[in-house]
Amino acid sequence: MTLFDLIIRSMRKNVKHYYLYFFALIFSTGLYFVFSTLQYDEATLKVMASDASFNTAFKVAGMLLLFIVVVFAFYANQIFLKRRSKEIGVYQLIGLTRKAVARLLVIENILLGLGALLLGICGGALIARLFLIILLKLIGFAGMVNISFSIEAAIQTIIIFSLLIVLTSIQIVRTVYNHTLLELFRADQQAEHPREKNSIISAIIAVMGISLIVYGYSLSGRMTEDTLLLDMLLVLGSTILGTYLLFRVTISWLFCTIRKNKDGHLGLKNSVSLAPLMHRMKANANSLTLITILSAMTLTMVAVSYSLYYSAKADTRAQMPYDFIFENNPQAAKSFSKELEKADISFVYQPIETVKLLGKVGSEDGKDSMLLLPAEQLRQSGIDVILPDQGQAIHYDAHANMNLDSDKQTYPGTVEIEHIGGTTTLELTQLVVKNAINFNVHGNQYVVSESLMNDLKEKLPRADFNEVIVLDTYQIANEQARAKAAELYEKYISEGEYMPNFHTEYKGYLQLFGIFIFIAAFLGLVFLIATGSILYFKQMTEAEQEKQSYKTLRQLGFDVKDIMGGIIRKQLFVFAIPLAIGLLHSIFAVKAAKVLLISDITVPSAIAMGAYIFIYFLFAVLTINYYKRIVKGALKS
Amino acid sequence: MNQSTTQSTVLHAQNVRKSYGTRSNVQQVLKGINLRVLEGEFVGIMGPSGSGKTTLLNVLATIDRPTEGSILIQNVDIAKMKDAELSLFRRDKLGFIFQDYNLLDTLTVKENILLPISLGKIKKKDVEQQFHTITSILGIEELAHKYPHEISGGQKQRTSAGRALIHKPSMVFADEPTGALDSKSASDLLGTMEDINKKQGVTIMMVTHDPVASSYCNRVVFLKDGTIYSELYRGDKTRQAFFKDILNVQAVLGGDNVDAI
Repeated sequence: MTLFDLIIRSMRKNVKHYYLYFFALIFSTGLYFVFSTLQYDEATLKVMASDASFNTAFKVAGMLLLFIVVVFAFYANQIFLKRRSKEIGVYQLIGLTRKAVARLLVIENILLGLGALLLGICGGALIARLFLIILLKLIGFAGMVNISFSIEAAIQTIIIFSLLIVLTSIQIVRTVYNHTLLELFRADQQAEHPREKNSIISAIIAVMGISLIVYGYSLSGRMTEDTLLLDMLLVLGSTILGTYLLFRVTISWLFCTIRKNKDGHLGLKNSVSLAPLMHRMKANANSLTLITILSAMTLTMVAVSYSLYYSAKADTRAQMPYDFIFENNPQAAKSFSKELEKADISFVYQPIETVKLLGKVGSEDGKDSMLLLPAEQLRQSGIDVILPDQGQAIHYDAHANMNLDSDKQTYPGTVEIEHIGGTTTLELTQLVVKNAINFNVHGNQYVVSESLMNDLKEKLPRADFNEVIVLDTYQIANEQARAKAAELYEKYISEGEYMPNFHTEYKGYLQLFGIFIFIAAFLGLVFLIATGSILYFKQMTEAEQEKQSYKTLRQLGFDVKDIMGGIIRKQLFVFAIPLAIGLLHSIFAVKAAKVLLISDITVPSAIAMGAYIFIYFLFAVLTINYYKRIVKGALKS
Repeated sequence: MNQSTTQSTVLHAQNVRKSYGTRSNVQQVLKGINLRVLEGEFVGIMGPSGSGKTTLLNVLATIDRPTEGSILIQNVDIAKMKDAELSLFRRDKLGFIFQDYNLLDTLTVKENILLPISLGKIKKKDVEQQFHTITSILGIEELAHKYPHEISGGQKQRTSAGRALIHKPSMVFADEPTGALDSKSASDLLGTMEDINKKQGVTIMMVTHDPVASSYCNRVVFLKDGTIYSELYRGDKTRQAFFKDILNVQAVLGGDNVDAI
């Protein structure tokens, strides 16, 4: 039998261990190819050319993708080598030299890698169009979708994955050369034995792990602008360290305490879950921490970008309650109205008279530029505002939440306005987190009653900063008509003037966040597959190692159902704990990122997290099924 | 038959056959075994390699199913039971001691021993009482909180015996229990088993190829090529005399096939 026959034979024999690894490799190759195809695609290039941030986002995402793929390939390869260490040992035992064994494994690896590369590129080419359609749909691009096989993308993918094959081959050679025969044969018995540790020190470290996480959480809620970077690093550092300690010490300590209290009366379920988990805590702490942190990152990324996309309309609306406005330009407004009528676009027109003045808000020393808006007129134009009483003002500010400064205005407060013949003090009743007029009109927005505004207008001295501004506002209910109107509006914008309108702004956000959500979902998917597969591989290995225990249990008369009860408990721990902690981390991270958004993001975040959890648990189900097969067959072997 | 007639039958196997393989290549391992084990007996099963010792034990112990024949344990035909019923039956009525102990590495001695009653609804106080009794007979009281890797082979096998006895089974099956032990540990364990058999009246069936081990039994059944070749009763003989008898049968039986001591 030649070496090549041996390779083919061993690959055929190992196919049931291989298929998932192979599939994961194909999957990541395919996705990488799709990603690079999109990068080189003309349609996307056209969109991206308009905005440099798209380009950067794509580049960063490409690097992250690469990073994930490399880490995953290494990890999976390591697990597989460990699984096959006995086989490697047997080859050496029957007289193959280390060199021959290394050659055998490397050729296998290359065959596998090349196969995955080929299938990945073919598969990727098939689905690239689908992804392009999704991307263009997300960014609201309506046009022909045409995509051809990208040679550049294929070359890039081939280069990257060939390097990956080389790297994993080096890993294989190192494993073969650096392990003694004895180590190879004992690889699957390396269960650690929990030692009776100093319980006081353990307890202290255990509590410290939790404290670090809590500290990270609380700090994330009160980061200030001046020390933002330092705060962020502190939050990251303490959370990651805390998570590690949690897995390494806190949970072990907790388990030890529970087990001690049971005093030998452990019960079947705990014997199959708690006990083996305790014996692997040291080995698992690293990977569980990694998976937790990465899950948290992915969850945060997906949740925030989905929230941004989901809230694009609401957020734009909060900043721009009117579709179009003209500021002190009645001629243009008149002409715009005529044009709209001519184009047969139905609209709501309302002129609003506002007063801009200087006022002292709260106990501040300086004076702020205030824009007083009459509530009655706003209401007439269809804006939902609160009608303040005489002598009251309501602050409207869409960006209030984004202000990280500690010296925030408190409500209720006061506003003092100086005018001819004295000072008028208004009661500032509350803050509403949205704008009462489009954000491009200068001045902090305060809604008052019309009579109060008129009263103040009479009393004001004619100075530059005391100005009456007439705003001509337009609302167009129909979306298509609004888009058409946006085109008409264009020509009233003179050189250098900033006159945004709702439609154009909204489309811009949609495009940007469309790219974000696409990249986040793309990375998230790759990520999820990688973490899920790693957990699955690890559990497969554990299941094989624990086969004898299951056999013994079956012989003692426990049936498959009883044992599976314990195994499900163990899998819940292995899968659910990293997910739960990662989820908690990400909830706090999303909360900290909430300053980016105006609307409430509970719903979109929950949707994104829900989708993540659902896919994640598919891997748990796969794993449990694998265990079930092992337990069912345990008596027969 | 010199057994007293007041003893009831614990196990009754009739015409038990077991074959493996496909239709074209059938290998008959058990070719019609008839065996009756009475309550309180300590039965040894001997025979050369490949004679079907372990297969017989597995079939009688409900771990494997016979191809043909009936097996009654306490008048219940286990050959007709479903898998789930068999599991329950094993858990309630049978105890096992294996050659390589088969303790769960991740459990302490006490946890291992208490495993068979972990699903039962026995009061914790009674369990403690039972545990205390058994471990003091086996002499492993001090080891309760040790892990298997921290104790010797003999101690592991005592733990395994403890696990087989904790739920007061109708019958204990032992598969080469001394196979992995040194002679001192082996004779200690066998002495204890004999003790338990006599004092507690536990019925034991033990597969072994070691004549010394089987000399501790009341009766030794010899298998050859899947059938019962002969049986020896110890009666009132000393262990030494019984040992000689066993050796004699073995010499006739096996020739080269007999595993030497």
